[in-house]
Amino acid sequence: MKKKYSYLPLIFFFILVLFFARQLILKEDPSELPSVLLEKSLPKIKLDKLSDYKLFNKKNLLQLNEPSLVNVWSSWCAPCQIEHEFLMTMSRSNNIKIFGINYKDDKQDAIKVLKLNGNPFYAIGRDDDGTQAINLGVYGVPETFIIDASGNIRYRHVGPILEYDMNNTILPILNKIK
Amino acid sequence: MKFIIIASFFIFCSAYSANSQDSFQSNNVVAKELYKELRCLVCQNQSLLDSDAPLALDLKKLVITKLEDGESKDEIKLFLVERYGEFILLKPTFTIKNILLWFGPLIFVAFGFFITFRFFRKKNLVYSESSILTKHEKEKLEKILDRDLK
Amino acid sequence: MIIELGHYCLALVLAISLFQFFVPALGVRYKSSSLMRSSFITAYISFLLVSLSFLSLTYAYVTSDFSVSLVAQNSHSLKPLIYKISGVWGNHEGSLMLWILILTFYSATVALVGRKLPLKLISLVLSCQGLIASAFISFILFTSNPFIRLFFPNIEGEGFNPILQDFGLAIHPPFLYLGYVGLSITFSFSIAALLIGKVDTIWVKWVRPWTLIAWVFLTIGIALGSWWAYRELGWGGWWFWDPVENASFMPWLATTALLHSSIVAEKRDTLKAWTILLAIVAFSFSLLGTFIVRSGVLISVHAFATDPSRGLYILLLLVLFTGGALVLFAKKASHLKSGSLFQPLSREGALVINNIIFASAAATVLLGTLYPIFIDAVNNSKVSVGPPYFEAVFIPLMVPAILLCAFSPMLSWKRANIENIMERIIAVFICSILLTSILVFIYNGSASAFLGVFLGFWLILGTTYEFIIKVGIKLSFKTFIKRSLKLPRSAYGMSLAHIGVAIFVIGVTVSSAWREEIEQPILIGEKVIINNMELSFLSINNVKGPNWIADRGEFEVVRKGKNKEFMYPERRFYPASQVNTSEPAIMSNILFDLYIVLGESLNNDKSYSLRVYYSPFINWIWLGILLMALGGILSLTDRKHRLGYAIKINNENISK
Repeated sequence: MKKKYSYLPLIFFFILVLFFARQLILKEDPSELPSVLLEKSLPKIKLDKLSDYKLFNKKNLLQLNEPSLVNVWSSWCAPCQIEHEFLMTMSRSNNIKIFGINYKDDKQDAIKVLKLNGNPFYAIGRDDDGTQAINLGVYGVPETFIIDASGNIRYRHVGPILEYDMNNTILPILNKIK
Repeated sequence: MKFIIIASFFIFCSAYSANSQDSFQSNNVVAKELYKELRCLVCQNQSLLDSDAPLALDLKKLVITKLEDGESKDEIKLFLVERYGEFILLKPTFTIKNILLWFGPLIFVAFGFFITFRFFRKKNLVYSESSILTKHEKEKLEKILDRDLK
Repeated sequence: MIIELGHYCLALVLAISLFQFFVPALGVRYKSSSLMRSSFITAYISFLLVSLSFLSLTYAYVTSDFSVSLVAQNSHSLKPLIYKISGVWGNHEGSLMLWILILTFYSATVALVGRKLPLKLISLVLSCQGLIASAFISFILFTSNPFIRLFFPNIEGEGFNPILQDFGLAIHPPFLYLGYVGLSITFSFSIAALLIGKVDTIWVKWVRPWTLIAWVFLTIGIALGSWWAYRELGWGGWWFWDPVENASFMPWLATTALLHSSIVAEKRDTLKAWTILLAIVAFSFSLLGTFIVRSGVLISVHAFATDPSRGLYILLLLVLFTGGALVLFAKKASHLKSGSLFQPLSREGALVINNIIFASAAATVLLGTLYPIFIDAVNNSKVSVGPPYFEAVFIPLMVPAILLCAFSPMLSWKRANIENIMERIIAVFICSILLTSILVFIYNGSASAFLGVFLGFWLILGTTYEFIIKVGIKLSFKTFIKRSLKLPRSAYGMSLAHIGVAIFVIGVTVSSAWREEIEQPILIGEKVIINNMELSFLSINNVKGPNWIADRGEFEVVRKGKNKEFMYPERRFYPASQVNTSEPAIMSNILFDLYIVLGESLNNDKSYSLRVYYSPFINWIWLGILLMALGGILSLTDRKHRLGYAIKINNENISK
């Protein structure tokens, strides 16, 4: 085999290793999907009212004219319960309005959770069959979207928001878009 | 000889036509085709067809509803890609972005033939160490090989 | 105490393996045969100590010693004994222990059987094996230690996933590992050959049995995994092109190419650099598979508890071994001098094409599997590559290979005359078309199966024809039989393996093209009809098993001309782990599988969700693979492959 061709496998392997190293260093979770709706306007979604809580629709989000969060949750989702505390803290101290989408849930169970653990939501809507959440590209619960003042999606957080996420992801983005 | 070839051709055609499929396919059949091409986002190593995850069932319902509304496979796929990204497609799109993926196999084979061709060109061959030929014998051998390989 | 002994043995083997790496290599450098010979002893002792270490871990599992962290996480006192034992390798740390057990076993066997090989060669081989062992043992000891104790022992174990308690699944890893690790031998031999600077017939003849052994085990291991998935997972699929499945398929493709390439290297003393490269690549794919499964870089349902820091360690191993081997190859490959010429149309030419196709196939599977990583880095977008891609590119690659496979054995070496075999080709072509048409007609199946079935018949007829010609035509029956018994076993092996491929292709094609399925809710007392068989849902009963309770459905199956048969799909609940599983009821025979899955009861009325699959010829898939493996085993038993035969012949030639 001619000398110069015999170096080809090595070069190819080297490039492969670089790609692997990049993946390992980034420590990304390969099953996590970035939202494809980033920088796009929040899609119109039609939600049902939950009891006598204020109904969430795009109009009253835009009326705020300030950054807000949209949180997708259910009473049957365990990580949502964990996250609830942080949502309560955020809604009180950080002065940020949180809109809730109650996803494929039972009305009574949802009301029970809010009465028991407090209501962090400025407005809530029900998506009983999950079809509205599909428009947001939701693929699990909980998920949280950061929306800027003009109603554009700036970030989608998959999974519960914990202290680490609050400090290292959510707050910096919020500060950036203010 | 010719007769045999023509006869087998006819037999082949008759087998083919005996199974002519209905050109109209029910929504269910098209739906199943679509399910096979879409990835379940919860159990990410299954297609929608295989998955029983709640989101998969919701998406399947969505597909059927859209098909009944008259949407085409491509329109439905586009709808889903707009919301979930290309990740939901099990078959990568045939675009410039994925050109390496789709042409890769062809490139590998072509490259394989290329290397082989270069390697086995007469000029590059070195006689094995054990044969010790005089210059005159080497020239004679070359001539013979020239003739052989033409 | 036993665990601590096991731990100590392992640490000892690390030291011995490092010794095995350095000392024989020094022996080669300074031409000291005693230093070189030390490699034999170290190989034997390593295997002994690793066995003790592995046994101590097994003991902990069998006695349900929950003070050992690994046992507490992965085992349970209620598990049947066989699953306690298989639980040893059913996790990341334990599977690595199995890996080095097999590695040291192979090293010791090579040392034993290769005693009479040129000392320089065998010491370099064992030295390389020593390095591999050291690398993996250090990986185990420093990042994945199975011998760690819990400070507060658990009362009960946590490991009770019922899906994993299956015989097929239990033995699938050992077979695969016997394959993966077997490739380390061909790898080490290639390194040794590059260092020494030559690849001669002795080398090829010696390496071939090891390649065959690894290939056979890989074949069986992959088949077991696929067969298990089909029977247990409930949707009738048997291959999903999942990254971990691909991780086992790539070494298989490379090893198949290696097997065929080594034939040319042996007979014609050419294609040597290519053979060496394939041996390096095959083992690299094994390492790559280890990396993919354990690093968390790709999503896979098979993946062990993934950990990027472990991933980094394995990546370093990859760089060391594959990188090192490829550097050596780059420098030394051009020194491997080639022996002979051949025309493109010849046996060598056909085998070269086979090589190109199989190597390209392996590269394609690699491309598809890793593409998401590539596109994420380059384009920052997430793309997924699934079965539709692989099927679209893989099949066109394999079609020429199968077409060629039937007739390559008829081509002569160096220069073949196409006119001789043209008649045979045409005859086989026509018969294949006829047989395919007949089959398609009988089954009234869709013509989309035509190509696959045609290729299957083409290969069967071509292989059989070649076999007959090899024995001799125009012979009386008695003479034919007598002569055929005299054929070397490797000839039988090749024909059997190729026929296995043909049967596999027919099985794959027909089971998907002519498959029928029903998916609907069903009430007790209702019937469904699938492929002229009547299935009646008779009743639902509560049943109890050793560690589960279930709803068992009773179905009566009526086929034309047969007695009534009954099938019992179940929905099981395992209290210990609170898991629900669905056990399909499968009726299997050579012509089809009938597969019934009982789903959940719907809406609290007496209806259940039902899935029924009728898959014709599906068992030909595994039958075909089994025949391939049998062909390989037959070849192995050929005299010329007997380990050590090559040396004997060579010695005889020298003394003549």
